[in-house]
Amino acid sequence: MSRIIMRFTGVGGQGVLLAGEIFAAAKIKMGGYGVKTATYTSQVRGGPTVVDIQLDDKEIWYPYAIDGQIGFMLSVADKSYQLFKKGVKEGGIIVIDPNLVYPTEEDRKKWKIVEIPIITIAKEEVGNVITQSVVALAIANTFTNAIPEDVLIETMLSKVPKKVHEANLKAYELGKKYALEALEKMKQEA
Amino acid sequence: MAREVISSGNDLAAIAAVDAGCMFFGGYPITPSSEVMHTISDLLPKVGGVCIQMEDEIAGICAAIGASMSGVRAMTATSGPGMSLKAENLGLAQMAEVPLVVVDVMRGGPSTGLPTRVSQGDVSQAKNPSHGDYKSITLCAGNLDECYTEVIRAFNLADRFMQPVIVLLDETIGHMHAKAVLPDLEEVKAGIKPRKTFEGPAEEYRPYGVAQDEPAVLNPMFKGYRYHFTGLHHDAMGFPTEEIETCRKLIDRLFRKVDEHKDELESNEEFMLDDAEILIIGYGSASLAVKEAIIRLRDEGIKAGMFRPITLWPSPEERLYELGQKFDKVLSVELNQGQYLEEIQRAMGRKDIQKLTKTNGRPFSPQDIIDKVKEVF
Repeated sequence: MSRIIMRFTGVGGQGVLLAGEIFAAAKIKMGGYGVKTATYTSQVRGGPTVVDIQLDDKEIWYPYAIDGQIGFMLSVADKSYQLFKKGVKEGGIIVIDPNLVYPTEEDRKKWKIVEIPIITIAKEEVGNVITQSVVALAIANTFTNAIPEDVLIETMLSKVPKKVHEANLKAYELGKKYALEALEKMKQEA
Repeated sequence: MAREVISSGNDLAAIAAVDAGCMFFGGYPITPSSEVMHTISDLLPKVGGVCIQMEDEIAGICAAIGASMSGVRAMTATSGPGMSLKAENLGLAQMAEVPLVVVDVMRGGPSTGLPTRVSQGDVSQAKNPSHGDYKSITLCAGNLDECYTEVIRAFNLADRFMQPVIVLLDETIGHMHAKAVLPDLEEVKAGIKPRKTFEGPAEEYRPYGVAQDEPAVLNPMFKGYRYHFTGLHHDAMGFPTEEIETCRKLIDRLFRKVDEHKDELESNEEFMLDDAEILIIGYGSASLAVKEAIIRLRDEGIKAGMFRPITLWPSPEERLYELGQKFDKVLSVELNQGQYLEEIQRAMGRKDIQKLTKTNGRPFSPQDIIDKVKEVF
């Protein structure tokens, strides 16, 4: 496997860190290497936050994603989207929550921008806004095929309290469903 | 058997402390070191230890010094602004010869600086945090594994040399989350070397009356061995004195106990150095970018290698001198304005060392290093 590099962006307090940790842990569980780094500001809540994930079968020295090499980004806040989008390589996939992120027309030409209302899915369809990071996890994995689904779900369940296992499984299924629909639509458009 | 874990540098530092037998943590949380305290506050009570959040950083180190005086292994953790506050009491621990581990997770400075951003700006401070003459022992973790192993080593060195040992992490290493391979726990436990104690009759006990190249022998307080504890110049029993020869010998001994046993302290990594034509010197998280850069430079046929000091203070001055004789092309890479560069220049006896520095709170990318190598050599 060549290196998979993903970026999750949001604002402090949204919990985007967790999805990154789950990816890294799942890859390591499979005997590979996974590194997660997070960059945040000194604002406790509301500051732009970025989480970079690198997954590889070979050892990873440098822990940060290198701008221009990121193949997949997911964003749930406009200010962090605008700040960190430049790291995504041309033609890369950017999943955004259309209620919260507003890409320009140039952006839509440069990258494949996919709109999935992540927060609304978590809040209304799962019924728990905190599950947004698992919705994001499912979307990211469906687009990148980074980790076999069973390993990723098992890792995810090991990181959340038992009483919310069911909600998180539902969040995963919904994230996957929306991502598959978006992929189908992309194919048709192509 | 070696243990594979998924963790962050800060968590590993806390786990290491407990595995090393640390029973007391006194501190005050500060970004980007807070997770050290957070994690150890969970772990210590489970092994019968104590973690206390004091009113500020000064009280944090004072509590840890007090705990250490009672004979237990003690630690505090902080970042640069906290180091500034702890400086006075680091001097006290140097003077009174109190073993202590201080983890400093570096962020941008000076002052409150850049709280959430990476820096290696505390390297000079770690050499002399307090006024007066003494020899600092400072270790610097360059990867996740070392956040564990260097904290273990720091506890053993603190008890061996009877003084504070600083372990430098930085925001990148402290917060990065990945796989770490830790040594076997039984091996770690077997490697614990507790501090010396005096076992003879109490009336013959002279805690500071030791050989000129040896540290004080401080028995735990309140166990029948009485002595005086002070930051003033003191005699063999610890009582204040201004006697000329005693004062001279005390400071001479604080130097010689370290200088004459440097072989017990030195630790370096040499990466692809054997056939290298360009020497890059880096430490801490900067070395991760250097390694990646070296691999890419070699793909282009440029033979670079890295020397990475793990014990920063005292510096590996003899090895640096040898390397300075061997390599014409030397580049120093650090996330400050060249704090260790001055030491490299001194040790090598050369002024023509190239430097790559950064102080805007952002890490080096491997490309930064590749570009610099191509520009200057």
